[in-house]
Amino acid sequence: MTPRPGLVLEVDRSTPPTLFWHGERFVLERLPEGSRIIYAPEPLAALEDPVAAIRHALLHPLDRDPLPSLLSPGMRLTICFDDVSLPLPPMQAPDVRQLVIEQVLDMAAEAGVDDVVLVAALALHRRMTEAELRHALGDRVYDAFAPHGLLTQHDAEDPGNLLHLGTTDKGEEVELNKRAATSDLLVYVNINLVAMDGGHKSVATGLASYRSLRHHHNPKTMVHSRSFMDAPASELHSSNWRMGRLIADSGVKIFQIETTLNTDTFPSQFGFLQRREWEWNLRDRATYVATAAALDRTPPRIARQIFHSIRAPHALVSVQAGEVEAVHALTTANVWKQQGVEVEGQTDILTMGLPYISPYNVNSIMNPILVACLGLGYFFNLYRGKPLVRKGGVVIMHHPTPWEFHPGHHPSYIDFFEEVLSDTTDPVEISKTYEESFATDPWYVHLYRTGHAYHGVHPFYMWYWCAHALDHLGRVIVVGGDPAAVRRMGFSPATSLDDALEIASDVVGRSPSLTHLHTPPLLLADVR
Amino acid sequence: MKALVFERNLPRFAASRLASTFGSGRGAAIGPLRLAETDPPALPGPGWTRVIPRLSGICGSDLATLDGRSSRYFEHIVSFPFVPGHEVVGELESGERVVLEPVLGCVARGIDPPCPACGRGMLGDCERIAFGHLAPGLQTGYCADTGGGWSHAGLVAHESQLHAVPDACSDEDAVMVEPVACATHAVCDANLEDTGTVAVLGAGTLGLSLVAALRALSSSGRIATPGALLVGARYPHQRRLATDLGATAALAPDQLTRAVRRRSGSLSVADPRPGRATGPLSGGADVVFDCVGSAGSIAQCLEMVRPRGRVVLVGMPGRVQVDLAPLWQREIRLAGAYAYGTETLRAGERVRTFDLAFEVVAAHGLGRLVSATYPIDRFEEAVQHAGAAGRRGAVKVAFDLRRANERRTGRASRPTTGGTP
Amino acid sequence: MKPSRFPFAKPTWPTAVPRPAPERHVGLDYDHDWSRRYPVRLARAIVLDNVTRPAARLVATTTVRGTEHLRHVTAPVIFAANHASHLDTPILLTSLPVRFRHRTVVAAAADYFFDRHWKAVLWSFSLAAIPIERARVNRRSADVASDLLGNGWNLVIFPEGGRSPDGWGQPFSPASAAYLSRRTGRPVVPVHLSGTRHVLPKSGEPRLPRRSPVSVLFGMPLSPDDGEDARKFSVRIERAVAVAADEASSDWWQARTRHAREETPSLRGPEASGWLRSWALDPRPEAGRDTWPRV
Repeated sequence: MTPRPGLVLEVDRSTPPTLFWHGERFVLERLPEGSRIIYAPEPLAALEDPVAAIRHALLHPLDRDPLPSLLSPGMRLTICFDDVSLPLPPMQAPDVRQLVIEQVLDMAAEAGVDDVVLVAALALHRRMTEAELRHALGDRVYDAFAPHGLLTQHDAEDPGNLLHLGTTDKGEEVELNKRAATSDLLVYVNINLVAMDGGHKSVATGLASYRSLRHHHNPKTMVHSRSFMDAPASELHSSNWRMGRLIADSGVKIFQIETTLNTDTFPSQFGFLQRREWEWNLRDRATYVATAAALDRTPPRIARQIFHSIRAPHALVSVQAGEVEAVHALTTANVWKQQGVEVEGQTDILTMGLPYISPYNVNSIMNPILVACLGLGYFFNLYRGKPLVRKGGVVIMHHPTPWEFHPGHHPSYIDFFEEVLSDTTDPVEISKTYEESFATDPWYVHLYRTGHAYHGVHPFYMWYWCAHALDHLGRVIVVGGDPAAVRRMGFSPATSLDDALEIASDVVGRSPSLTHLHTPPLLLADVR
Repeated sequence: MKALVFERNLPRFAASRLASTFGSGRGAAIGPLRLAETDPPALPGPGWTRVIPRLSGICGSDLATLDGRSSRYFEHIVSFPFVPGHEVVGELESGERVVLEPVLGCVARGIDPPCPACGRGMLGDCERIAFGHLAPGLQTGYCADTGGGWSHAGLVAHESQLHAVPDACSDEDAVMVEPVACATHAVCDANLEDTGTVAVLGAGTLGLSLVAALRALSSSGRIATPGALLVGARYPHQRRLATDLGATAALAPDQLTRAVRRRSGSLSVADPRPGRATGPLSGGADVVFDCVGSAGSIAQCLEMVRPRGRVVLVGMPGRVQVDLAPLWQREIRLAGAYAYGTETLRAGERVRTFDLAFEVVAAHGLGRLVSATYPIDRFEEAVQHAGAAGRRGAVKVAFDLRRANERRTGRASRPTTGGTP
Repeated sequence: MKPSRFPFAKPTWPTAVPRPAPERHVGLDYDHDWSRRYPVRLARAIVLDNVTRPAARLVATTTVRGTEHLRHVTAPVIFAANHASHLDTPILLTSLPVRFRHRTVVAAAADYFFDRHWKAVLWSFSLAAIPIERARVNRRSADVASDLLGNGWNLVIFPEGGRSPDGWGQPFSPASAAYLSRRTGRPVVPVHLSGTRHVLPKSGEPRLPRRSPVSVLFGMPLSPDDGEDARKFSVRIERAVAVAADEASSDWWQARTRHAREETPSLRGPEASGWLRSWALDPRPEAGRDTWPRV
């Protein structure tokens, strides 16, 4: 059965209530008549033999010689891979990175390459735990490399392992992981979950230092990325491309392997989350009722553990390898093929139900800043052309927004929330006054380098991710959130969707148009 | 005339101690404090005058005494039965308003020559508080011979204990002078440095007075100016007041360590305890004032102060169990700050603490911290309110003796601002 | 003066009298004769069969093959096995046919298993361990081992001298099984153990054992040829264990034909460094759960 494309549904009186994610719970809301709901395309069929497809891609790359011919004994080979923030939710074993890296290593073993190092390209994200590395790479790769110390995680604060490659013509400094930049061949294994990933961003961001990243991770770049999923309109993309070209010109040889996955996001027992509500059968409805009732009685910590143990049945849909730009053009087309939905016109109000997971709280707590980032950073920007909401419109997000932070993973977020946001919520003000002291705070550097903490400056990036939305919108309302936390971020709390619409009417009038983004599974709106 | 009298009565003592486990101040109804008819106290000698109280504050040490929680250390420097109340603004027979400096030093006790401390004007350090021609008693309000502020009968005070209240100063402002003087003494004694980080844990009357004193005295250049003044306050109204009075940031107590870490740029040496965001610091604040006095608060102060820094206990502690290993390893100075006397300021200037306190009260209008007043007939409610002040959104609770005075003497008292809620 | 607890407590030694060094025999000097007396043998047999064997089977589902080679060999024999994990000894001991099992001693490294008195007692009792030096069996240990073999005790010995550090085998020392066999004239039975390194790996941090399948394979017994020295015999023993390894991973016929063509893969792994050697190791077998039968 061919998967159906995305759908924009006009709500009428016979439309059943819509499922909204609400953190670690779900609710069913009735949307007003005349609203639109954007449903994601169904997952594309998986490749029948992913291993063979990967092998084919490695032997027939785009604009490069086949991989075995690039490998020779005595060379320095570095294999870099995307970190734990992809894919979301984490996929069932075997992970795509495991399949690709095992093939690459088999070729390297055949060629007799001695000097191989694996680097997790985390940029300023947190280090991965052993369990997470084993999941991503598989036991065989982990046991062959970790005991010898050949499996490393990029340390952006290690002055001895950073190499300054130069400055682009726009004054952007390029500073990368030294081992990766001085290798004879750098193989990058990427998972392209959303259109923003991949391409030159893999190396230019994933292996960079703070000095490099601040040139595009700042409010100005983010406001001018409309959206950052749409490469031609994204200043983030242009900056990374300039840096990527400088990296290529300075002699770093990159063999990029990009993969796309289908949006088969939930295991079969949670299939109802993937299906359209009017197509729910008896089993789906029973599962929904049982799950919702059970979750109401479950303490938040247990519910969080349950949800974070979900493994998605994502399957490989395409794999391409070779020169960065050629590969990425193909990958982007594949991502749009899976996720693209055509939408006519903008709307006054955009509603979204936020799930329990964002790229930055895998196996962790979703604190209020990450809620804002997921809603206003990612979901708001899932468009090409024009934003889904009109300028001055309203976004309504559904999430409990608990005032809770993981002290091990997000220590700098606590200080950011208490100290910075209580002073101002303007991204430009924040970057001028506070960013430097957080980025250089020795304690955060210590936790980033030796613990499992995000870098001290990371909460700022989360806030800058919302810059375009904050600049564009008239108001942001959070339904069901902790009122103090919501107000601290400058948003308006509401206890129900109806109340939220009432609050919104101050901004958009009494009869606004409303669109609901029914995601996850992921989608990209092509707004005409 | 009526007065609240505290008698030595062991069963009632025990009963009030038990009752106080349900909340500070609950023991007032069954404790050793009772409303009695007493005569005004006799004048002990020349130089003494009678003072009729107008407003008398309820202090944390009073509450501890009423709860039976105060240390047994005080047994020998207190004489029963006594009338409590040492935060007093009253009037003399001439009608002039005065504030009482309750410490009973050598001069008040008629000891000549005075002890070395009293000779230097450091009344709080007097070495003769159980001697002289008065019964033992560290302050008026703990002495059987002087009477105390919680009475209509009044008290007697030596002329050295009285400070004239300027006209511009309301009764509420004046009743705050004594607690502000305690805070002022703690601040002046703390060897602050310019641009140092100062943390204050606890924002009841003492904590807020500390913030006010720090700001007022540093802006007039008499003490060093702290770089950051961070206050740990449990209740939202306390945090608001702290920020109003000039704190750099007022946060919940469990967030205070984290904020101090950021300001002082230090690292953390151990995992945070459950519920806290940060563990003990490797560096920390230069001076930490503890205005709570519990085992937990002292432990937290030791966590947040830098090596060779200073922790000042301003609030009266009892018997607490504290792990002193951090104190030893990091060479921390743990100091007590009690009462007042004469301060030596930056330029070598010597000023009496009460004079500085009057300035601080006037600069910030601290009379607004008097949240509620009660007549002494309703002393159970008053003490309960004072015991639950933080939870009930109050700061200072005081006894208002003016109305009853008016009725009795038939003469109108000075109009003042504020009044019963 | 404070009263002394003597004679209820041990006496303290007066300062003026020189005190001889306490005699404590541990390590190679440990006297382990007691562990072969009848009552102790009986107790050990009970423990081995009813405690050690089920416990080992619990963490490692064991497949034992090749016991038919042992049917016609006369005790005592020397069992020479590869060594990858501490689990090797209990698995091997409890997989031996009964007639060998309760009359076997195990040669164990003196510096690791016999360095403390309580450890010496524990291993002597539970595994009938005797202390030897790692790389070469020195004169005294060789004498002790030969005597035991002469008295009818089988010997389990690991010619590698220690556990494999990276999963591949280390060279077999000629001064161990080969030498003893020449000296006493008893045959050597090559044994290959596979899978134990996955259950209880040789690693820094202590970890709970992970359940994994384990295989024990006995090869045909070997005796030294006339005039064959220990070195050459040791090479033959190592090759025999390699053939057993080959047979364990494929089957008997393939192993024998490869042996005839001298293509048996070496136990020592590829001549490469670091990750390449680890990469060439067999992966951890898929944990076969006890599934419900397919109906």
